[in-house]
Order: sequence, then structure tokens, then C-alpha cells
Amino acid sequence: MIRQMRLLVIEDEEKLAQVVKRALVAETFSVDVAHDGREGLDLANSYDYDLIVLDLLLPQMEGSEVLRRVRRRNPRVPVLILTARDAVADKVAHFEAGADDYLTKPFAMAELVVRVKALLRRGTLRRESVLRIDDLELDRLTQQVRRGGKRIELTPKEYGLLEYLMANSDRVLSRNMIIDHVCDQSFTGATNIVDVYVRHLRDKIGDSDQQLIRTVRGVGYFIANEEPA
Amino acid sequence: MNTRSIRFRMSIWYAGLLTVLLVLFGGFIYFALEKFLERNLSDTLAKDAQTIGESWIRDVNQSPAGYVAAEIEEHFAPSITGRFVRVTREADGNILYSSAAPESGAFDPKQIRPKRFETSQSLREEHLPGGKELLIFSLPFPDRTGTRYLIETGAPDDQVERVLRGLLISFGVALPLIVGAAIGGGYLLMRNALRPMDEIATTAERITSRNLNKRLPVIPSGDEVERLSISLNRMMERLEDAFHHIDRFSADAAHEIRTPLAIIRGELENALQLPEISVELRETIGSALEEAERLSRIVEQLLEVSRLEAGEILVERTRFDFTEMTRTTVDQMRLLAEEKNLELRFESTKPVEFDGDPLRLKQIVVNLVDNAIKYTPPGGSVSVSTFPQDGRVVLEVADTGIGVPKDATSQIFDRFFRVDKARSRQLGGTGLGLAIVKSICTAYNGSVTVRSAEGRGAIFRVELPLEKKYEMDHA
Repeated sequence: MIRQMRLLVIEDEEKLAQVVKRALVAETFSVDVAHDGREGLDLANSYDYDLIVLDLLLPQMEGSEVLRRVRRRNPRVPVLILTARDAVADKVAHFEAGADDYLTKPFAMAELVVRVKALLRRGTLRRESVLRIDDLELDRLTQQVRRGGKRIELTPKEYGLLEYLMANSDRVLSRNMIIDHVCDQSFTGATNIVDVYVRHLRDKIGDSDQQLIRTVRGVGYFIANEEPA
Repeated sequence: MNTRSIRFRMSIWYAGLLTVLLVLFGGFIYFALEKFLERNLSDTLAKDAQTIGESWIRDVNQSPAGYVAAEIEEHFAPSITGRFVRVTREADGNILYSSAAPESGAFDPKQIRPKRFETSQSLREEHLPGGKELLIFSLPFPDRTGTRYLIETGAPDDQVERVLRGLLISFGVALPLIVGAAIGGGYLLMRNALRPMDEIATTAERITSRNLNKRLPVIPSGDEVERLSISLNRMMERLEDAFHHIDRFSADAAHEIRTPLAIIRGELENALQLPEISVELRETIGSALEEAERLSRIVEQLLEVSRLEAGEILVERTRFDFTEMTRTTVDQMRLLAEEKNLELRFESTKPVEFDGDPLRLKQIVVNLVDNAIKYTPPGGSVSVSTFPQDGRVVLEVADTGIGVPKDATSQIFDRFFRVDKARSRQLGGTGLGLAIVKSICTAYNGSVTVRSAEGRGAIFRVELPLEKKYEMDHA
């Protein structure tokens, strides 16, 4: 059994801190919470955390200052920044200050969890060259998709979407994440393009009863690896 | 020449006023001169008559015959000076002397009728055949014996008229010249006087919502121009304040909403993870999540518009092919069109190199094409084209959809403006897509316009300058 990972959430909004904590605890992480910058920095200095989730707008000490001081002592701990500002210049500044990733409020918990896991390199991301779910098979080398041994022709976008879903099987992917992955950020908010892509993909892989690609209303989609309950 | 400009109108007013004054002045001079010359002439005539009377008529009975005539001839030489002199005896009408016709042939003395005798002196105008006029002074004069004579001295009236005509001609020539010079001079003077205004206007025009911190130069002239620039500057200060206020408010509001929204979404998502929740509850939470997500999008886009309008610096600048970017984007959206059974066309091939943030500019294409697809019924078509024109890149998105009502074409780019509220909400838009398009266009010093006949589709046209003009405006 691997050691349980310990995370620090520095967020002054108590409720948001609790929500984040619960979402991470559900993923079997151990989570400490700090409500201001100074307390956060003290905790970060007194324990060797595996990852820090850091809000930028904090009382006592600004998040960016916390980040700078944490980096001075521990250059390797992954830091995920939560921010309510998302100007491009800010983003650049965050990365320069040593953040590993950032999320703009409001974010989907599903996305937070995926990003945390990606930073910890401990996600369910599957790296095999052939991904299999039920009788659906995706070969990453030949970029071929078969269902029940029968070849299915997909456009590059549909292939990309299916690969993304299968590599993260059983993990809910938010529309934003899918848009980022399949298209780019300029599509955010403007279209229902994700739903259209998913519908087409379902048609092609013969999943009109939505047993493979499932919808989580208001959140996104995931592909189920287990037998439906 | 702009006939409604202050400069033109002021020049015309000045010229008109000057003309009236000159005409009045000229008229005054004319009549005064006429009076003066006439009086002068009649005085001369009277003096001559008096001289003749006192020198020769008084003692006429003691003088040898012909003496008087010779004396008058010698002293006055009427035929040479163009004068008329006649001396008549009252009792028998015997003419003692009558001047010969003047050498100039101005009049014929024989045509001058004899004057009836009167007791007092008089001045009369004699009209001769041929239109000639003679001013004649008559003086009854007794000699020492009491015999009365009538002495008449006269001169042609046209002496006065000739002078007056000369004056009129001088006026006729001088007036247009003076008025013309006044118009020209006035126009130039006004231009100089209005130049500061022109400079103020030029500077004021360069001030937009993106560089409201600029101010007009204040020339300390202590006059209306200085006051105008100062009050314009104050107005801009207030405008800038108001703008900042709105921008800060939008940004702050959006910012304040983000955290609670994050909590709501987090709570709901966590709730979905709970075991054994009923299908109904799952649906309810899903529906709430959908709305929370839409609210997030609205907040996101509202912030984006605020930032663009506040003039956030567009950091990302790369050179890319606008046509190729549009083609790729249209291809990515083809599925959306197919889904609605629409034809989506893009046929431009000419590359257009553009400097800017490809993601931002792509957003223009995405939002416009998405909009066109949403508002075009199945079976219709959407065509996109890009081409360079007069140093600008033009992007046109034309659809065969429901179009935009005429009274809405100016408001359609406003935040949250919806032509048909129920319909737009059903389509799931945020009401900010076109506002974002406009802000991005403005940020690149370009423009977006729409032409539409309601019910027969709409054409959205984006124009962005190719040269880096916008950097100059920020300098």
C-alpha cells in the first residue's frame, strides 16, 4: 500500500475550502486547510506536503508572496493556483512565480481533481498503447478504433475525443476540459460543440443507448470502464 | 468651401456689413459733395453778377458804348471759361451784353430764353434743347439813375455732375475691391482665429474609450479657446471617472460572484458523488449545475468584455495567416452546421498576413459563425469569406437566417442585448458573444457591422487594419 498523499489547501473562503477538501478526500487524499496566507505558509513550512492548492487573494499574506516563500524552501512541491483573475498577463506571472498549474474560479471539481492527479502523476491516466473498454478498442499506434472487431472510421477530432475519454476512463471530464483538449480555448462558452462531437462519436461507435459514453448533467462526460450498476 | 462653417458665415457677415456701411458712407459723401459743389457754383455765379453790377452797371450811363461789354469780356472771357453772361435793360429789354457761345460748344446762349424781370435775385435751372442744363443766377441791379438792369450769370450744370460721376465710378471700382479684400482677409483671419479650435477637435477625435487618460493641450490665451479646452478636459476627466467606475464595477462584480459560484458548483458536484441519491435528485442537481455553469460563462465573458474595454494590453502578437486561421476554425465548426442541416461554406484562398493574438481573433470567427448557425433554420446556409481591402482584412459571415430587425442593428453588439429574449435563452447563449466580438475588434482598432433584411438573413462584416495603427494611438 502506498503512503496516503497529503495535500494543503490554502483558501480563505471557508466554504470553498471545505468543498475542495471534500472533493479531494473523496479521492482518498489527506487534506489540511489553511484560511489565510500566514497560516498557510506556516503549515507548508512545517510539513512536507505532496501538493499545495493555493488561492491568490488571501488575508495576512498575498498568495503570490506565499508561493514565492514556499518556492524558496521547496522548489519541487507542485502548486496549483486558484484565481479569480484570469488576465493573460496574470497567468504568465503565475507560471513565472513558480506555479505548476492554475484554475480560474469558478471551476468544476472534476477538473480540479483531474489536474491535481495529473500534477501528482498518480492519475488514472492510462498509458498502454491499446486502450480497451468492453468490446471497444483503440490502438494508439495505428490510430484505429474497433468495436467488436469491426473497424470504425473516425475523424481526427473524434479520435482525439475518444482517446481523451478512454485514457481518463471513469473520470468525469468537464466540457471546458474537453474543449481545451479537442479544440482550443476560443470555443469556450460560445458553442455546444462538445455535445455535438459527443453525439457524433456515440453514433459512430454504436453507443446510442449511452452505456459507454455517459453524461453527467451539468458537469460533463465520462466513459465507463465498469459494468453499469 | 463649406458654406455653413463659422468661418464662411462670419466672413460673409463682415463683408455684408462692410458693404452696407460703405454704401451709406458713399451716399453721404455723394449728396454732401453735390450740395457743396452746387452751392459753390451758385456762390461763384452770384459773386460774378455782383461784381458785374458794382463795377460796370452802376455807372453804365457814364460809360462809352461797348465799354461794359468789353470789360466783361476782358474780365470773365465767358466763351473761354464756358460761362454764360447776359445783361438786359429792364425797361425795353435791350440786351447790353450777351456772351458768345463757349468754345467747347457746351451750349448755345441764343437758346436761353430771356428772363422775366423780377425785383429780387433768383437762381434757376434752364433746360436747353438737347438735354443740356444751365444753372443761371439772375440779379436785378439799378444804375445810379435808377434804371434797372438784369444781370444773368450761368454755367452748365454738368460741371457738378461730371465730378459726381467721377466719384461714382471711383466708388463702383473701389467697393468690390474693398469688399473682396475684406472677405479674403476676414476668411484668413478667421482661419487663424479658429485654428486652436481645429487643433482641439483633432485631438478630441483621437480620444476614445481606450485612451481616455489623454488630455487636450491648453493654450493659456485667457479667452474662450482656453476655457473651451479646459472645460473639455474636465468633461473627459468625469468621463474617464465614469468609465473606470463602470469597468471596475463590472470587474469587481464578476470577481465577487466567482467565489460563491465556485462553492455552489463544488457543493453540487460533491453531492452528485454521494451514494444512493435518487434519479430525480440527480436530475435536479444536474439542472442546477447546468445553470451554475451558464452563470459561470456569463461572468467569464462579462469580465472579458470589461477587460477588453478597459484596454487590457493584447500581449500575444504573432504573425499568422488570417485566411488559414478562419478556414481551420470553420472546419472545426462544420459539425455544428451539419447537425442543423446547414451548408457551411468557406471559399477564400488568398492568404492575408495579420499581426495579433490568433486565439482572440479566432474567437471572433467562432462567435460570429456560432451565432449564424444558431439563427439560421435547417436547410439554410452560412458562408464565410476573408479578403484584404484597402489595407484591412475583411471577414464576412453571411447567413440565410432570421436576420436582424432594422431598429436593432445598432444595439445588437451591446452587452446582454437580445432581439428575441425567449428565443435566445432557449438557444443557451450568454448574450455576450457579439459584445465580445465588438470589444476584440475595437481593441484591434477595427470595426464590426451588420447588414440585414429581416427574415432574409444577415451579413456580419469585420474589418481590421493590417498595419499596427493601434500602437500609434497608444503612444
